[in-house]
Amino acid sequence: MLKKATICLFVISLLLGMSFGVYAQDINLTLWHIHTNVGAPQYTIQDAIRRFEADYPNVTIEEVQIINDEYKTKLMIAMGANDEPDIFMSWGGGPLETYINAGKVWDMTDALVEEGLYDNFLPVAMDLGSVDGRVYGVPITNMVAALVFYRTDIFENLNLDIPTTYAELLEVMEVLNSNNITPFALANSNKWTGSMYFMYLVDRIGGPDAFYKAMMRTDGGSFAAEAFIKAGEHLQELVRNNAFPRGFQSMDEDLAQSRNLLYTDRAAMYLMGSWAWGTIKAENEPLLEKLDFFVFPGIDGGLGDPSNLVGTPGDNYFSIAEKSEHKDYAVKFLGYLSDAIAEEMLIANGHIPPFGKDIGSKIDDPMMKSLYQAVSGSDAVQLWYDQSLPPELAQVHLDTTQALFGLEMTPEEAAQTMEQAAKRYHGEN
Amino acid sequence: MKVLDHLPWYRRPGVTIFLFLAPALFFFALYVLAPIPVSFYYSLFRWDGIGERAFIGFQNWKELAQDPIFWRALKNNVTLVVVSLLFQLPMGIALALLLTSRFRWTKLLKTIYVLPYLMSAVAIGMLWRYIYEPTFGLLNMFLEAIGRFSWIQDWLGDPKVVLYSVINAINWQFTPFYMLLFMAALAGIPDELYEAAKIDGASAWNMFWTITLPLLWPTIINAATLSLVGSLKYFDLIHVLSGGGPNHASELMATYMYKRSFQHFRMGYGSTIAVALFTIGFVLSMVFLRTTRRREYEGGGKG
Repeated sequence: MLKKATICLFVISLLLGMSFGVYAQDINLTLWHIHTNVGAPQYTIQDAIRRFEADYPNVTIEEVQIINDEYKTKLMIAMGANDEPDIFMSWGGGPLETYINAGKVWDMTDALVEEGLYDNFLPVAMDLGSVDGRVYGVPITNMVAALVFYRTDIFENLNLDIPTTYAELLEVMEVLNSNNITPFALANSNKWTGSMYFMYLVDRIGGPDAFYKAMMRTDGGSFAAEAFIKAGEHLQELVRNNAFPRGFQSMDEDLAQSRNLLYTDRAAMYLMGSWAWGTIKAENEPLLEKLDFFVFPGIDGGLGDPSNLVGTPGDNYFSIAEKSEHKDYAVKFLGYLSDAIAEEMLIANGHIPPFGKDIGSKIDDPMMKSLYQAVSGSDAVQLWYDQSLPPELAQVHLDTTQALFGLEMTPEEAAQTMEQAAKRYHGEN
Repeated sequence: MKVLDHLPWYRRPGVTIFLFLAPALFFFALYVLAPIPVSFYYSLFRWDGIGERAFIGFQNWKELAQDPIFWRALKNNVTLVVVSLLFQLPMGIALALLLTSRFRWTKLLKTIYVLPYLMSAVAIGMLWRYIYEPTFGLLNMFLEAIGRFSWIQDWLGDPKVVLYSVINAINWQFTPFYMLLFMAALAGIPDELYEAAKIDGASAWNMFWTITLPLLWPTIINAATLSLVGSLKYFDLIHVLSGGGPNHASELMATYMYKRSFQHFRMGYGSTIAVALFTIGFVLSMVFLRTTRRREYEGGGKG
């Protein structure tokens, strides 16, 4: 119903917009993004719209916010119906490539160079929005790594040290559990939340190569390889040792059900993208004093360097639709989204902009400085699996991982299911 | 008929009827009938919704036959049908009887009882999500407050429990609908029948079994058909409440179709599920209507 209503509203506003367009020669650009919650990206986007509309009074930007988990679906349907918005965000990588292959996304390389925007974006972040050196999406919101946020006061009270190995992590969990504190605040109905644990375990056990080979289907890489099976075993060991709260499989990250446990002293740790720092700042600023982070612990005998990170160098990538009639204005707007004011605003609200010069020196907050150092200093940053893989396989990864969390699949079964899906997708059967 | 022969062709009864029906028929054909063969056609392809379509014959159908998740979803659908029939209908009749009897507050109660049916599925979904919330939820906090710790459940996260949690919310949503239906039917039963029965010395229990229930029977059949079809293609509350999860424990055919089509972007396979869902629903409701209609006539003959 809600969806129908939003579609109706959308169509009506589109029609209205079109009719106004005819009468007043006004230009209307639609913009879709996922920032339904308050926080740095929402502030920055809305501020950029205000500034842009003030400078170009004949242009109206219609901002449509769509909740995260529904966003990909809505965008894909809109594209299937040739009704995509002028400007839309994605997370780069595999899904963006699907849109590009279908001829839906505009190659904005030349326009970016012309507008003098090209060099403003961090090259390392640019890759994910580019194919063969041509840019289809620019990184806008954040340099992100998944980190373990933890309550310093709880750790101090219980005399706990930051775990640097998996074995130490199990010990920390035991102490927390015996004090009736849930080790990790996790809401896993969204699936990508739990996926972070799996990705780190695979990296720590098999190194970055394990996933890369399996995804690229090279060097005998396989999703049924030992690293994936062992990661599944470790994951289930965490579940069996009560690492996660009661009911975590049905809890919703978008409803802050995970963070609520952190806020009410019921949970001590929270593995989440570094955007969480900005989210917590917006939701519960006093808590920041009792919050710090560490990098996911290593595993003895594992191939992965314990400083490797999982994350994304740009988070949200903004693209322009091939069929948009006002690409010139759309590109100019992307300039507003990535100018010095946007940069300042993102930093002030706890995000690290993937554009601008000399970002490190512009960050004053000590916690953000260390976030920045962790993100920019790591040798290997593994992009989220569900953004690297084509959408169909991404979903299988998310589903099998959730099943692992629920102890409803053995690690072998989960790994085989994923490998079978990959074989079918690549036509290897 | 002679007179009619003199009319121009467009004013003959058959043609007139057709012309009046034509606009509705057109939209019915366009939005209800046409998608069925079209979906079947798409089920023969591998397609992500925006890219190229690749013809793969009956591969999707072969996959469907061996897809344990689909069979699990079908089983869940059957459970939903059975529970809906056994709970919502009797409960609807009971509430209707209660509210048509003459006791105070019935108007107020009527309004309260109808409320769930007036709310949108998304609102109901969010409401029950908060009720079932494992730590801060109303239900678990209540159980904690009264000390029934062993009753505390992971209502939406435990695969053994989730289907029943969701069905409970569905019952809550739809019972008022059947209540309204039966209230209308009860209002149509003439008072004289009850008066005559009273004079003959019948008890309230007897009157219910010999007057009320037989006269409600056609309405019960209609309600059961609605419930059957509705349960087979049910989608919205499950989508909001549990999303069919965790790990497909509360998956229905419709939510599974949605997932395959719009989350995995396998439009071909999604269409396959859609056609299967349609066929199963069509066959079951036909069988149901056939068997119950015969009984309806028999009942009529006896009376």
